[in-house]
Amino acid sequence: MGYELVNLLGGLLIVTSTAVVVTRSIRIAIRWYAVQSLVLVGLLAALGVTTGAHELLTWAASAFGTKVVLVPLILSCTYKKMGRPADATIERVKPAWTIVLIAVEVAVCFAVVSQIKLPTAEIAVPALAISFAHFFVGLSCIITQQNIMKQMFGYCLMENGSHVTLALLAPTAPEIVEVGIATDAIFAVIIMSIVVYKIWNETQSLDASDLTDLKG
Amino acid sequence: MNILVAILQGALVCAVAPLFTGLSRVIRAKMHNRRGPSILQDYRDIAKLLARPETVAEGSSFALRLMPAIFFAVTFMLAMGLPIFSQESPLPVFGDAITIMYALALARFFFALTGIDSSNAFAGIGSIRELLMSVLIEPSMLLALFATALICGSTDIASMGRHIAAGDVTAPVAAVLAAIAFAVACYMELGKLPYDQAEAEQELQEGPLAELSGPSLAIAKLAMGMKQVVVVSWFCTIFVPWGEPATLGAAAVLGAAVFLVKCLIDFAICGLIENSVSRSRFKVLGNQTWAVVGIAVLALVFVVVGV
Repeated sequence: MGYELVNLLGGLLIVTSTAVVVTRSIRIAIRWYAVQSLVLVGLLAALGVTTGAHELLTWAASAFGTKVVLVPLILSCTYKKMGRPADATIERVKPAWTIVLIAVEVAVCFAVVSQIKLPTAEIAVPALAISFAHFFVGLSCIITQQNIMKQMFGYCLMENGSHVTLALLAPTAPEIVEVGIATDAIFAVIIMSIVVYKIWNETQSLDASDLTDLKG
Repeated sequence: MNILVAILQGALVCAVAPLFTGLSRVIRAKMHNRRGPSILQDYRDIAKLLARPETVAEGSSFALRLMPAIFFAVTFMLAMGLPIFSQESPLPVFGDAITIMYALALARFFFALTGIDSSNAFAGIGSIRELLMSVLIEPSMLLALFATALICGSTDIASMGRHIAAGDVTAPVAAVLAAIAFAVACYMELGKLPYDQAEAEQELQEGPLAELSGPSLAIAKLAMGMKQVVVVSWFCTIFVPWGEPATLGAAAVLGAAVFLVKCLIDFAICGLIENSVSRSRFKVLGNQTWAVVGIAVLALVFVVVGV
């Protein structure tokens, strides 16, 4: 039952990240990101209860603070400070194709992961495949979206994916390692938010293709 | 016995179809701040048309005369196969997802043929539009159904419904995604805004009906209403199967009541969606159907992964 719940939450993780990638409105994408982080927290807690690893439970609690509350707060504050620029997000790939791309990524990751023999993650193969796929979903968000705020979401998604991978492969990793991993994302998001804000102030544009002044 | 129940089901769908299409018109009028027609207006329209003599376009062939009967027969047949009174289909042979898909395609083929056959240029355009919609919607619908069939291990819609009602599914997230994809595809199939406007009579979806008159038009209109009820209850049977009694008998009356309530809720929701959006050009339909295909593909992948 425990691992089934973990796999189910893993599935929801992909669904919510797909929503983050394809949503055109930044405001709604921030909400979807918060929902996704909540699913991540649930996954960590479920895994903690299943494997009996207390470290994961504390990690879930800290992830709730950082990912469900802080990161969406920082993102929405930045967005508000910029005066909520128009929601016309520019995409290189149509949302429909992005969903198909995500499906292909999940399938490829599952095919790869089911070939690997790992004693710790034998039962949670779907969740492990999904955590790898999640990393690639983040990467495809960065590639398919031209809005630099959406590209920040891509980074956050990649980060969530690597969290799940670590939790599945090393559930009893020392807390200090986990805290380090959980908090570095916050700093990355803060720095990126400042850079995005500066770029917006300078150019009044969030379109990555407009930002080619430094191109050699 | 089963045949009798099946015919009763068909008769029920036939009897309530104009009520639900009338309900859509009432919701539209209320949301436009108009008084609008009575909820029974569609019954009156059909009765009036049935009493009128029929004229047939010069140069038209058998297809024009045959279409209303075929369309009605197909929807009646599908209504006979749906598990409406209980969780069991009275005629399982008509309750298979692939059979339903093909039967609807048959009806649509004759519907489109009528427009071209009537030698009316406008009706011809309506037919082409209808065929284009079918080309776009059917694959996404089929993909969503395949994912569901894999999850439940059967293409029989009553069996799919029982699996989902009992929570006996191998991949719950995939089931939810398939339900979303199928719901959107069904909504497109209903021919409502933003994709189509069934009430716009000769303008859009009913373009092929431009040359029909009298009883033929009445039957075709009735069949279109029945198709909407069939599509809605098709979705409910698979993805919202709760509330239906397990077996036939005295509980069948309860089953019929539950069916009507589900249809009422669905048509009310569809009415609300329909009137809160503007019409999109039908060339844009492709983008949305691709999104549905994407969701269905994701569901299929989740079935393979097992989540």
